[in-house]
Amino acid sequence: MTNALQGRRVLVIEDESLVAMLLETILEDMGCTVVGPESNIDDGLIAATTEASLDAALLDVNVAGREVFPVAEALRARGVPFVFSTGYGEAGLPEHWRGNPTIQKPFTEGAIRDALMKAMNISLA
Amino acid sequence: MLLDAELRYAGMNQAYLDVTQRRREELLGQLVMQEYDGGPGQEAQENARQLLASFEKVLATGKPDHLAVLHYPIPVPQDDGTTTYEDRYWSCTHTPIKDADGRVTHILQHTSDITELERLRRQVGRLRPADASSALDSLIGGGMFRRAMSVQADNRRLETERRQLLDMFMQTPGFVAVLNGPQHVIQLHNGAYGQLIGHRDVIGKPIREALPELAGQGFYDFLDEVLATGEPCQGRQSPVQLQQTPDGLLATRYLNFIYQPIRNDAGTIMGVFVQGHDVTDTVLAAERQKLMIDELNHRVKNTLATVQSIAMQTARSHEDPRSFAETFQSRILSLSHTHDLLTRSHWEGADLREVLEHETTAHGLHRLTLNGPNVALDPAMAVSLGMIFHELATNAAKYGALSSGDGRVLVDWSVANQAHPQLGIVWRETGGPSVTVPERRGFGSRLIERNVRHDLAGTVQMHYRDDGFTAEITIPLSKEAA
Repeated sequence: MTNALQGRRVLVIEDESLVAMLLETILEDMGCTVVGPESNIDDGLIAATTEASLDAALLDVNVAGREVFPVAEALRARGVPFVFSTGYGEAGLPEHWRGNPTIQKPFTEGAIRDALMKAMNISLA
Repeated sequence: MLLDAELRYAGMNQAYLDVTQRRREELLGQLVMQEYDGGPGQEAQENARQLLASFEKVLATGKPDHLAVLHYPIPVPQDDGTTTYEDRYWSCTHTPIKDADGRVTHILQHTSDITELERLRRQVGRLRPADASSALDSLIGGGMFRRAMSVQADNRRLETERRQLLDMFMQTPGFVAVLNGPQHVIQLHNGAYGQLIGHRDVIGKPIREALPELAGQGFYDFLDEVLATGEPCQGRQSPVQLQQTPDGLLATRYLNFIYQPIRNDAGTIMGVFVQGHDVTDTVLAAERQKLMIDELNHRVKNTLATVQSIAMQTARSHEDPRSFAETFQSRILSLSHTHDLLTRSHWEGADLREVLEHETTAHGLHRLTLNGPNVALDPAMAVSLGMIFHELATNAAKYGALSSGDGRVLVDWSVANQAHPQLGIVWRETGGPSVTVPERRGFGSRLIERNVRHDLAGTVQMHYRDDGFTAEITIPLSKEAA
């Protein structure tokens, strides 16, 4: 189980540096390599479209006043699974994006792991 | 008797001249209301008002109007030079005469003298004073005549009520308009409606001509539907693009409204009654409130996540619970202090010096020297810089200039490049113990670097020089310049 995410490259988009640092720490503890973290939509889009290999992404929904959905579209087009992170929880997402794995701030390490595995369709069996 | 549209005598027959005891050349071309003598006493004015109202109604509506009983006192000059009045009672019909375009050009007054009927009624009344109940009495005394009188009284009351209703309707704070016919010609509107449409002159114009900017917004269709189906149509907080100023720019307003069919006596739908309120202020206030609640929720959750991050990262470098508690608490208090500053300005921002002064107060007024102009920081910048200065000051107190008695910290800042303002801050420690480069980067220095780069889109350079630690921070002041 601890190895399930070993070596995965995970893009992080989060505008608050302290939250980004926490995500980075948690992901590194799980054996992931963090891509970014990017603090704004523009840099996030560049990373989402140009980074050579991405296994998953953690996307803050409200990034410095802008919504992250263009980045989510770009990732979906590439077939990269992603997890939303938001203070509102899944209820705060537009209809279109509900059902996508979502973590609510503040989050636990376990919640991040579960959401990533769900997004990447990794079973625990 | 015949009147023109200005209510001047245009012609009359001999019977009219006989009854009124006037000569034709006296009357022709004269205004009828100047020639009409309402008689003596208070009744005169009311008699004249009724007559004029009937004429005006015919001119306005183009339809005949009836006055069941008009008291028409005929002045009779007496030999001694005084005037007495001979009471006549007329029943009048005023019929419009129109030209080819349908405009009323003349009014024909057809009069029946019912004075004899009235006299007979009074006579019957005298003969059988208390309980007159003969056929004749019910026919003329109690019946027809009284009915005529009462219809007229009703008409007068209705006229008064109509005028009061119209007044209320014109002054109501909601907007009101009456649209007539299949083209929805604006017949009438009140002040609130006038304000809504920018006080344009729209009376008598079809709605599509009067308010052309409504094309494609669905309102014409609603009106057509009300006329076609007779079903009222309602809108709640419906957005509408309206031209409210002559410059032609459209303004978005939100309206609560109802369109109701207007029917005539036969039940045929003649037009649409438009009524409603401009609720733009309410809609905008609700939108602002939702934005604020969303923003508050976002900030609270982000702040909690920040606190969570501080707790977890502080815990990693402090195994002793007491030292963890102390460090964690001072970081939370620093964050809280910046929030206090921002609360004071209703979260509009804070001044750089105010953010720095918190650390000055904590470590002694004489030990930190702050030197620079006023710089307005937006809330996010204030929170970031608050945390950065806290980490710098904490490091100085633990390892740097503030850890020994003589050391001091000089903070200088300035703003360069007016087109794309850059804030440059130099934190310089002096007089402390000799400096060594730390073996590993702690949470504090990582926080400083990440905050400047990630949250402030700036750069930071930290120098562990022998004579004292320095940090040089450069950040763009406007987000667009980043």
